[in-house]
Amino acid sequence: MRYTIEQSPSYGYVDVQLDAGDTLVAESGAMAWMEGALDVATSTRGGLLTGLKRKLLSGESFFQNTYTARGPGGRIALAPGPAGDVIAHELNGELLLERGAYLASAPTVEVNSKFQGLKGLFSEGVFVLRCTGHGVLFFASYGDIQPVDVDGEYVVDNGYAVAWEPTLEYRVTRARRIRSFLFSDQLLLRFSGRGRVWIQSRSPRSLANWAHPFRRVERKND
Amino acid sequence: MKIDILARGAFTSALVHLQPGERFQSESSAMFRASSNIDIDVTTRPKGGAGGVLGGLKRLIAGDSFFLSTYTVDNGQAGEVGLSPTLQGEVRHVAVSRAAGWTCAGGSYLGSDAHLSLDLEFQGLKGLFSGERLFFVKVTGEGDLLVNAYGHITEVEVDGELIVDTGHVVAFESQLDYTLSKVAGSWVQSYLAGEGFVLHFKGHGKLLVQSHNPKEFGGLLGRHLPPRRS
Repeated sequence: MRYTIEQSPSYGYVDVQLDAGDTLVAESGAMAWMEGALDVATSTRGGLLTGLKRKLLSGESFFQNTYTARGPGGRIALAPGPAGDVIAHELNGELLLERGAYLASAPTVEVNSKFQGLKGLFSEGVFVLRCTGHGVLFFASYGDIQPVDVDGEYVVDNGYAVAWEPTLEYRVTRARRIRSFLFSDQLLLRFSGRGRVWIQSRSPRSLANWAHPFRRVERKND
Repeated sequence: MKIDILARGAFTSALVHLQPGERFQSESSAMFRASSNIDIDVTTRPKGGAGGVLGGLKRLIAGDSFFLSTYTVDNGQAGEVGLSPTLQGEVRHVAVSRAAGWTCAGGSYLGSDAHLSLDLEFQGLKGLFSGERLFFVKVTGEGDLLVNAYGHITEVEVDGELIVDTGHVVAFESQLDYTLSKVAGSWVQSYLAGEGFVLHFKGHGKLLVQSHNPKEFGGLLGRHLPPRRS
């Protein structure tokens, strides 16, 4: 299996070439185009419970698609929903992904949800995706992705951390000095330890908030 | 103070490197990453402008919130703050000098050296009545200013007169004179035609325009979203 990341970081997608027998697992809906003799199997990978957990707890899809090349010359392009960056990460152990960041992976990579503890209530979600094993893992975000090697502490605004290594811990804190009661909700993730965190430069939530005032106003009829 | 513009395609952001004693401020939601020694102070008070909680509320009523975060390092070591706007597009560094102050369209201000003074300027009632929410941030002093755009930024050298749709103005040198006016013959006509209001610039100076109009994009999205109650 060979792959290239195309059009990074603005309109990133991944172009994967599969040799006979090669297998790739992808988020359902990620396939943009494909060619050659590929078998597609849709399953809950890991069983019903794992699928449900993935869907309900981590915001990923219930089903995942497995693509297997029956012969030579198989090719598949996978694209994330939002415009932005795609990162190819050669997993060797474990990586944690924020909700919605998973795109595709080698079949030797396990994808599960992981309970974040109560701090998750205050950040993006109580569960994140825990990817384990060996092999390539593709993840994506809205905006470009900036890797930061943390040695000590680093601060990421809530909603901007895409992925991080398990050697990093994080806690949710507030901006230290807040003078205005209007700003009681600025939450920050404070990562500590030694490892890499991948940060996206744009936030879908911030975009949704921006679009909110443009909605029509419902008139009362009573 | 050193500023890296991380221009990697459609999603530009800025990384501001701060030394002890240096202060940078930004529109309050712009920070997306920071070193752990960055101290964040959120206020409703732009330096040199009408401030305090009342000032902040007044701005909310006018339809535009404008709050600032001020960043300093708190441990005597160098630090960094990453700033990005909401929409996809360019971020540009502008050097403000005493000879050349700059005025930003409200939504285009990203951040600035805290030594620079910010003054908010609202357009008159006519502008507000028409549904146009225009406010400008006038930046004076000497230091670094960051502006953001929806799309690509083009720098225009105004020499004489130039007309720009309000939705495409990013920032301009304050020495330029401007008046808010309409494209069509009358205000009513202009409103019916759905044509935006324009700024009529006169004089000599630099002007930054953006390739896309955020209000047009917002209007496009709004039609497809369920209505809101208020």
